[in-house]
Amino acid sequence: MADGQPGSSAPEVLPGAAETAHLRVDNVTKRFGAAKAVDNVSFAIPRGAFATLLGPSGCGKTTTLRMIAGFYDPDEGDIVLSGKRINQLPAHRRGTAMVFQDYALFPHMTVKDNVGYGLRVAGVPGKERERRVAETLEFVGLGGLGHRWPNQLSGGQQQRVAVGRALVVRPQILLLDEPLSNLDAKLRESLRWEMRELQQQLRMTFIYVTHDQDEALSLSDWIAVMNQGRVEQAGTPWEIYYRPRTEFLADFVGAVNLVPAIARDVRGATAVLAFGGARVPVGLPPGVSVREDQEVRLSVRPESLWLASAGATAQGMISLAGTVARRAFLGDIMRYWINVDGREWIVDQADPGAGVAFEGSVSLMLRPERAHVIVPATPAELSSG
Amino acid sequence: MTSLRREPSLLLALLVVTGLVLLFIVYPQVRVVATPGGSGYADFFSGGSWVRPLQNSLSVTALSTTTAVLLGFVYAYAMVYTDMRGKPFFRLVGILPLLSPPFVVAAAYILLFGPRGIITYHVFGQSPNILGLFGIWGVQTIAFFPFSYQLIADVLSRSDARLEQAARNLGAGPWQVFRSVTLPLTRPGLGAAILTTAIYVLEDFGNPALIGGLYTVLPTQAYGLISGFGDLSGAAAVSTILLGLALVIYVAKLRLDGGRQYVTVSGKASSIPRPPVPRWVSWAAFIACSLCALVILLVYGTLVVSALTLAFPTNLGFTTQHFEYVGAHSLSLRNTLVYGLVAATLSGIFAVLAAFLVERGRWRGRRVLDFLLIMPAAVPGLFFGLGYATAFNEQWLDWVDRGALITISMIFWNIPVGYQAAVAGLRQIDRSIDEAATSLGASGLRTFRDVLVPMLGGSVRVGFTTTFVRAVTTLSVVIFLFTTQSTTATITIFQLVGDFNWGGATAFTVADVGMAIIALVVIAVLGRGRVSLGAARG
Repeated sequence: MADGQPGSSAPEVLPGAAETAHLRVDNVTKRFGAAKAVDNVSFAIPRGAFATLLGPSGCGKTTTLRMIAGFYDPDEGDIVLSGKRINQLPAHRRGTAMVFQDYALFPHMTVKDNVGYGLRVAGVPGKERERRVAETLEFVGLGGLGHRWPNQLSGGQQQRVAVGRALVVRPQILLLDEPLSNLDAKLRESLRWEMRELQQQLRMTFIYVTHDQDEALSLSDWIAVMNQGRVEQAGTPWEIYYRPRTEFLADFVGAVNLVPAIARDVRGATAVLAFGGARVPVGLPPGVSVREDQEVRLSVRPESLWLASAGATAQGMISLAGTVARRAFLGDIMRYWINVDGREWIVDQADPGAGVAFEGSVSLMLRPERAHVIVPATPAELSSG
Repeated sequence: MTSLRREPSLLLALLVVTGLVLLFIVYPQVRVVATPGGSGYADFFSGGSWVRPLQNSLSVTALSTTTAVLLGFVYAYAMVYTDMRGKPFFRLVGILPLLSPPFVVAAAYILLFGPRGIITYHVFGQSPNILGLFGIWGVQTIAFFPFSYQLIADVLSRSDARLEQAARNLGAGPWQVFRSVTLPLTRPGLGAAILTTAIYVLEDFGNPALIGGLYTVLPTQAYGLISGFGDLSGAAAVSTILLGLALVIYVAKLRLDGGRQYVTVSGKASSIPRPPVPRWVSWAAFIACSLCALVILLVYGTLVVSALTLAFPTNLGFTTQHFEYVGAHSLSLRNTLVYGLVAATLSGIFAVLAAFLVERGRWRGRRVLDFLLIMPAAVPGLFFGLGYATAFNEQWLDWVDRGALITISMIFWNIPVGYQAAVAGLRQIDRSIDEAATSLGASGLRTFRDVLVPMLGGSVRVGFTTTFVRAVTTLSVVIFLFTTQSTTATITIFQLVGDFNWGGATAFTVADVGMAIIALVVIAVLGRGRVSLGAARG
């Protein structure tokens, strides 16, 4: 299949978000002392979207989330919820319930009381409260555990209590701060699907913070990748993965080959990237322009490359001669490091059990439409909104 | 709590707390310091009557602190490091003095070693003059080594047993480990324990008052100036010197330990075993502790025997008449119980609220409030009481019940322990717990009430118990405040000793300590077995 993924024409937000945004963050900056934790960040999230802030630790994603929740005040900029500026609204009046990384369950309350706490604060009468708590416990798969204490639950169960406790108050927006990162890998994966399922059923706006790219890619309708307090790029998971605009982004989300190349034959939205003896024709993403002879990077994912025996060629593919430097068996894939003109390329071969293990001289096959151009060091134009 | 501006109820709570602190901690002290006035201070300092008491206070503090700390250290080392027998017994004996007014040691001392003492006169036929420096020194050593033991044991038990295991594993002997690992790591804590003991000794009023004789120290001079000469200005000046000394020591202590101010007395031994010490060390420790325990038991035994005999030590016939006397004059015991319980409850609540506002707040000036809340720990009881007497002895305040004033003084004099326990407790509660409540719609105060207070149970208990115990044992705070209707047990004991009514005095002491023990047992049962005490003081 070609990369005709819907939305690959890459708006910064989901279609229509700017007008009907449920939550807008406008030019928000937050300083801690001299350091800018969040630096002029803007984005908009449509109602009912599963939106993710993704980035390495210290990138400002949690700070941004906490400003939305009202735990921090932005130094500059506005936070707009359903068209209303909420900067001045205290955290407990925002209707932005939050799920915490460590769950933050109240240890002196049972599961039922934890889940019912928000309703109690809101003054929901006892009968109604009981009903909604029971309903919610059922909904998050904890029916019958209401009388337990938090310390009698497994990590996964505690996490469900935390989610239930936040959902039961029917928040405008659910904020989730790395809710799965304290769980082991298997559980994390299964809860990931539950989370997505939940969000789809409720059609509630979720804002999810994580440093885990798999989580972000698999859960989200929209991802903003943050780095050093800025949004590096925002868009659909597809765009983030296959059309990263910066080297940081390409490198942070998955493994990537970034090959220095020179732009030649620049014509409108196409160019030819030259490196070594190879010439790869690529399309330029909207908003990206290159000059003739400009130094750029060719970016291609390891799984978008193929290996063949030395000297092989194929229709529509560019073939590079290389040698196998190392390989690692990772279970679902075989990862190769292929030396091409003194530069190592990473190549992932799917289903290693079915194929041959390559050694020595090989042909590295590259399909031009799977490659992508990254123009180095152009941070200014990358904030979204 | 992000911003006080957005939560008026929090702002209001902060204003109330600040107002109370200014009114009941800052204002009385300012009044005392200001009482003599410029010329008053000039006269006072040129008069020179303060020089001897100051010298005396300094030497007695140096001597008593040294010996009390040495004994306390031996006791603590034995309890923490050795595997000697009888630890539960020694632990219990070590707690007993914390529950009684320190000056009862002086009373027992007079009964044992005084001119007609059971040992001096009846055994050896001597009538020595025990008043003066050596009497105070001996008595304060016995009275305060248990406090010093509690503080030092707390520090030692916090030293990491794994490091000691590691050092032993690398080939160091027990003594070498102690010198090269334990001591360097616990030095700040030990220093703080020594300085805390020094403050207790420095501000001790009861013991020097009973057996100081002509050997006047600052607290007894201040008291004497008022009770003998009605010289409020002179007393205020003397008290101010005392406060200055205590503050210097206290600031030094804060620099060492950053303000930890309570120890947890619990029945549980440390879970990580310490490397074993040689057998002979355990035996030596056992003997040393036995001697210490013997002295303590001798003190309290004397009091009990005296309370139950006709005229100790001349007539050892059994009688209950002294307790009948206590029963007939039980007003002071009742007052003590009521003031203690009310002060303990309110102090605990106030301390936790203040800790919440300071620890969870992000407003300017919270460091100042923090300091003011810790400061009473450095203020000698005599000064604190004098402050209340000076500040609130106004005609237009006549409607204020004296008992209420005493209770308030106990609340605020004892704030530091509960406050610091609550701050420590809050630091252990991750902020995400508050934020979870907030994000579910709970305001700052609501979060405090629903979530933090129930989780701070332990800290509230520390504040409550300590305030109660101090209320039961303090003499110096109350001595300028009581009236006949609002007298307390310690005052009664002090007066009875002054009247040489030993039977009544000792019976009152036994009743007072007994009451404290019963109350603590009840509290312990209600609090599921843990009693946390800030060291009491006299």
